[in-house]
Amino acid sequence: MPVPTAIVDTRHVYDWVFGIYVPIGIGVFGFFTVTIIVVTVRFRRRDGRRHRLAGHNEANRLELAYAVVLLCIAAVLLDVTFRAEHLVDTASARERPALTVDVIASRWEWTFRYAGHGITHVSGAVGDAPLVVPVDEPVRFNLTSRDVIHGFWIPQLAFKRDAMPGTVERVTLDFDRTGSFSGACSEYCGIFHSEMVFGVRVLPDRRFDRWLARHGAGPV
Amino acid sequence: MRLISTDHKTIGINLGVLSLFYFLLGGLFALLMRSQLAEPNNQLLSNGTYDELFTMHGSTMIFLFVTPMALALALYLIPLQIGARTLSAPRAALCGFWLWVCGGLVMQSGWFTASGPGQDGWTSYTPLSTGSYTPGVGQDLWVLGVLLAILGMILIAICIAVTVARRRAPGMTMMRLPVFSWTALVSVLMVIGAFPMMVLVMALLYVDRLGAHIFTGFAGAVDYEDLFWFFGHPVVYVMFFPYLGAAAEAIAVGAHKRWFGYTAFVASMLAFSVLSMSVWGHHMFVTGGVTNQYFAFTSTLLLVPAGIEYFDLVGTLVGGSIVPRCAFLFGITFFIQFLIGGLSGIFLASPVLDYNAYGSYIVVAHFHYTLFAGSIFGFFAGVYHWFPKLTGRLLREGLGRVHLGLLIVGTNLTFLPMFFLGSDGMARRIARYPTHPGWAGLNQLETAGAGLIALAVAVFLLNVVVSLRRPRLAGPDPWLGHTLEWATSSPPPALNFTEPLPPIRSYAPLLDLREAADAAAAADPSDPVPVP
Repeated sequence: MPVPTAIVDTRHVYDWVFGIYVPIGIGVFGFFTVTIIVVTVRFRRRDGRRHRLAGHNEANRLELAYAVVLLCIAAVLLDVTFRAEHLVDTASARERPALTVDVIASRWEWTFRYAGHGITHVSGAVGDAPLVVPVDEPVRFNLTSRDVIHGFWIPQLAFKRDAMPGTVERVTLDFDRTGSFSGACSEYCGIFHSEMVFGVRVLPDRRFDRWLARHGAGPV
Repeated sequence: MRLISTDHKTIGINLGVLSLFYFLLGGLFALLMRSQLAEPNNQLLSNGTYDELFTMHGSTMIFLFVTPMALALALYLIPLQIGARTLSAPRAALCGFWLWVCGGLVMQSGWFTASGPGQDGWTSYTPLSTGSYTPGVGQDLWVLGVLLAILGMILIAICIAVTVARRRAPGMTMMRLPVFSWTALVSVLMVIGAFPMMVLVMALLYVDRLGAHIFTGFAGAVDYEDLFWFFGHPVVYVMFFPYLGAAAEAIAVGAHKRWFGYTAFVASMLAFSVLSMSVWGHHMFVTGGVTNQYFAFTSTLLLVPAGIEYFDLVGTLVGGSIVPRCAFLFGITFFIQFLIGGLSGIFLASPVLDYNAYGSYIVVAHFHYTLFAGSIFGFFAGVYHWFPKLTGRLLREGLGRVHLGLLIVGTNLTFLPMFFLGSDGMARRIARYPTHPGWAGLNQLETAGAGLIALAVAVFLLNVVVSLRRPRLAGPDPWLGHTLEWATSSPPPALNFTEPLPPIRSYAPLLDLREAADAAAAADPSDPVPVP
């Protein structure tokens, strides 16, 4: 897997790290499972043979060498993780986004406010007006909550961030493909938590501009 | 009299039997949840009932089953394994047991209030759990119940730790402590280190709910999470180590070989416990309130001590003379199944991966693979291993294998699909899900799996009943055990040992005796038994 170097969307970064972690994990699982089963079968008690007398009970040098190997694996994983986190942090801290959307979470709805355009969409238990964004443009989200902790999760982007009361969390995200996707609240927030979902519509640039012009009150 | 006995074995059995009852209750809650989730947009349960069920399922399993059961094993076994006749400060342990009993009753009594029981998850995050958003006496009872149960478990843990410090038999040095005793000792030290924080958190939450408004605004929300997880992460290791120790004992005895790499194992347990006290922030990667890199670093390092345990497992099996009885098989399965939980934990320790996985069914799959597919298999390994010691009777091997087979299939059917549902965007703690391609099928598999788990547990209970009704006597040492609990009658007498203890020269004193006898026999040419 090539190391993503440029600023990319969170889904890319996730897939890159996933593609390294999961095969290693499956490999380790397979290795130990096969080893444990093979060794168990190989050393089953057979008739007429008693167990080997006290042989090697410790192999501390070998264990130490093994621990060093494990440390190296941890170092490789951490290297990947830190680089990925740096990419996501850098991308999400970008200034001068193409669009800014205030996301106000409350029990049990999402309010998307396009400040400066006079557009407010509400999704969740009481509405289904989606979050509308342009493709391939940095979009800044100002996340906050009016009451309890909510989680702003867009699985398509493999990204979420908590919307917390008493603070505004800023993240800048990229949507790399057009289409309709779903979003959900990822932090349990009370009785209608399961209904606190929203749609995400990613539009090509021109269509997004037309949508903004048609629905908005124009620049204020 | 049994209920006020200060015998560590009686307190241990009382705690264990009650915990097992809570296992069945928590399992019942899980079956109801799985029934609700069997269909998309199912109307079987109301949102409120579902929220109460997942809250009480988690709370019952964690505060009233897996943690106290770990302490029950430690209470019963540690004095026997270290050659002690009694527990230190047994009245304090008895008091702890009763505090825990009261805690459980107070927590469950919420079911009989108009507002229902606790409903904010076992984590009970603020501000959701404050009086403004969760009014009602049920949540108060939950907070007080947890507080009492935790207080009780701290008392029990202190008694166990002091017993290890003060009551070891002559010759039983710390580096001769049996493997289970080490794992349980590390657990009780973590209880002593981390659980007082939960007493504080629950007390603060209660005062907040009375109207003091302690956890307010952003700082209040993040502070609660910080304080809670300072308890909440160590507790998952308390719920893991003793079951690891039980599986290790069952495997070593089943392989007729002492546990391999004892020194490295003890060192790794200590490293494990120290590290696991410093990883709590990995539950908060998506809050923007912690230094993600630090917690990713400590959490990922956990793979080193965990890896050592697998090395020692393989080392124990190699060269053994394995008799795969139920206890051994459950032990082996524990290690294999837990691997999925452990490896997915390393996955979740990467903040970038957690940004997607957090709050989704990936996390639910992960911790059920550690706690259910892990600890519960270790628990059953311990049950099949020590049931003869507790009762003097053997469990049936045939029923045990049926139990194991059903449990393996049921467990993986229930929890494996959760990884895929989570990856596909299904959030946890939702009472219903929309019609989404693939979700209904995977959820139906999980519900079927949960049914198989229930069946497996029923087979286990049947096994216990059959084995007690038509006893097959076990004798003092049916497995050729390694440790001192097998050097006394089954069940052991009031003061544990009537005979003088054998000499203690290692962590497997009874195996030492047998190996010395074998060596003597091998040296004697008149002995016809060939020794390879």
